[in-house]
Amino acid sequence: MIAGQIINGLMVGGLYALIAVGFTLIVGVLHRINFAHTEVFMVGGFVGLVIAQAVPSIPLAMVGAFVVGGVLGIVVERISFRNLNSEEASITAALSSLAVGLLMLDLVHHVWGSEPIAFPLVNALGSGSLEMFGVRFVPVQGLVLALTLVLVLVLYFVIEKTHTGRNIRAVSDNATAAALLGIPVKFVGQQVFFITSALAAVTGLMFALRVGTVNSDIGMTFALKALAVTAIGGMGNLWGAVVGGLLVGLLEAMAVHFGFGRLADLVVWGFMIIVLLVRPQGLFGSVFHGAGARA
Amino acid sequence: MSADLLLFTTINILMAWSVYIALSAGALTFGASAFMAVGCYVAGLLTVKAGLPMLPACVLGAAASGLLGFAFGFPALRVRGIYLILTTLGITMSMVVILENIDFVGGTVGLGGMSGTTVWHGVGAVLVVGAALWWVSKSPLQRVLDAVREDDEVAASLGMNVVFVKLTAFAIGSAVAGFAGGLYGHYITYVRPDTFNVLISIYAVMFVILGGTNNFWGAALGASIMTILPEQVKFMQEWRPSVFALTIIVLLLFRPQGLITRRFLTLKLGRKRP
Repeated sequence: MIAGQIINGLMVGGLYALIAVGFTLIVGVLHRINFAHTEVFMVGGFVGLVIAQAVPSIPLAMVGAFVVGGVLGIVVERISFRNLNSEEASITAALSSLAVGLLMLDLVHHVWGSEPIAFPLVNALGSGSLEMFGVRFVPVQGLVLALTLVLVLVLYFVIEKTHTGRNIRAVSDNATAAALLGIPVKFVGQQVFFITSALAAVTGLMFALRVGTVNSDIGMTFALKALAVTAIGGMGNLWGAVVGGLLVGLLEAMAVHFGFGRLADLVVWGFMIIVLLVRPQGLFGSVFHGAGARA
Repeated sequence: MSADLLLFTTINILMAWSVYIALSAGALTFGASAFMAVGCYVAGLLTVKAGLPMLPACVLGAAASGLLGFAFGFPALRVRGIYLILTTLGITMSMVVILENIDFVGGTVGLGGMSGTTVWHGVGAVLVVGAALWWVSKSPLQRVLDAVREDDEVAASLGMNVVFVKLTAFAIGSAVAGFAGGLYGHYITYVRPDTFNVLISIYAVMFVILGGTNNFWGAALGASIMTILPEQVKFMQEWRPSVFALTIIVLLLFRPQGLITRRFLTLKLGRKRP
């Protein structure tokens, strides 16, 4: 029973990790929080819905969410981050991206209403189920789990092994030095926004597949918790975000297992507050120096 | 303008001021709705379960909220900038869950049975708080706040007790939000924990950003515009969040200091990173 909850927690944690990676990469490169990230995650589900209603193909829906999410990311960068790039403007930029997020949320409300919509195709994935450690798994969960693993591995490859990834790591280490060495810092910023937002949108679609509905609330409820995950893992620390995501997913599952299901949110946010107060640089340290956060 | 609208305008002005007060000492908070909830629930419990009259209950609710702000602010204000935003967001998200899990206050069902707020309570509260803010803006206290906000290290080197100033501002802001919560609860007579969701906090911050962050008129103007205009223009009523968000986006792009900037000091939100 508890083993089943652990697996369940790690699956949710994987989704947290994928969103948190987006927050943390942008913090690493630009030293900004992109609040629009949560709503791009939400929009991903709706993009998937539109495509799935037209063409019954989940891979196509994934590709659609990836492209639309990435483009949205570049738009967000242009509106909220490009012109607010002075060091004092970090919070102004955060507020601006928050406004962009609200705008996306309201537009989605106007088109699809605020009620959850059932996602087609979920049943097409097969209706059999697998009983394991007392928890029932349906095929769609297996798909989500596999996709999470693939996406994390691809991201690892992109960040650690490619030219783009090397540029991103260089800029987040030291933007000035990277610029002096001829790395196009602004372009790297755009790349990061594209990658993280595309990832967030795909994650949103995976979340929709997992729960079987597309819901406009998930940005403010589910994805915002990934921001807590980011802070727990250490702002700007990529692997901190992944480990933090899994850790928080596990914590939530344990809260449910031991009968505190209604307190799951409190566990996440409370954990974040404690981490920020005791160790502002996060559990795994970060490029954002903890000392700068202290008053 | 209907009585409803006038009251909600005054409550929004109070919420905007609660953010403005904390911000005037350099602490940007997304915790306004949590303290609004505390004020509302404490005041509501006092009138419904203890039979107190509405106004004293609201004052006690505000006091409780202020004390809680003091208690939370003491650890929370050790972090700043983006980290303070996160911490206060955490307080807001946690407060909803906490209230949902206390059966004494109604849990997820909510708390009902409060009544008694009239428009004049709202107007009176705005006048009192506004007068206090006006007095502060003319007094030497404003220089202390400016100094702490603009550069707390310099302020500390000049012998100002930075932590105390920030903490007091945070607690007073929380108390104002708590009073607004009390008035709100006793007007709509029935509240649930998720009435006080994170959007309330976000809107309160946006009111201040819209009006301008460095004087109290701006916050009041921002709140008034965004409450009254949507009710008067049908198009805006439907598209309220969009219009609001677009206004903020455009404003931050072209006039980051807000609509009204009377004093010359600019508010550097956040701090240079080391």
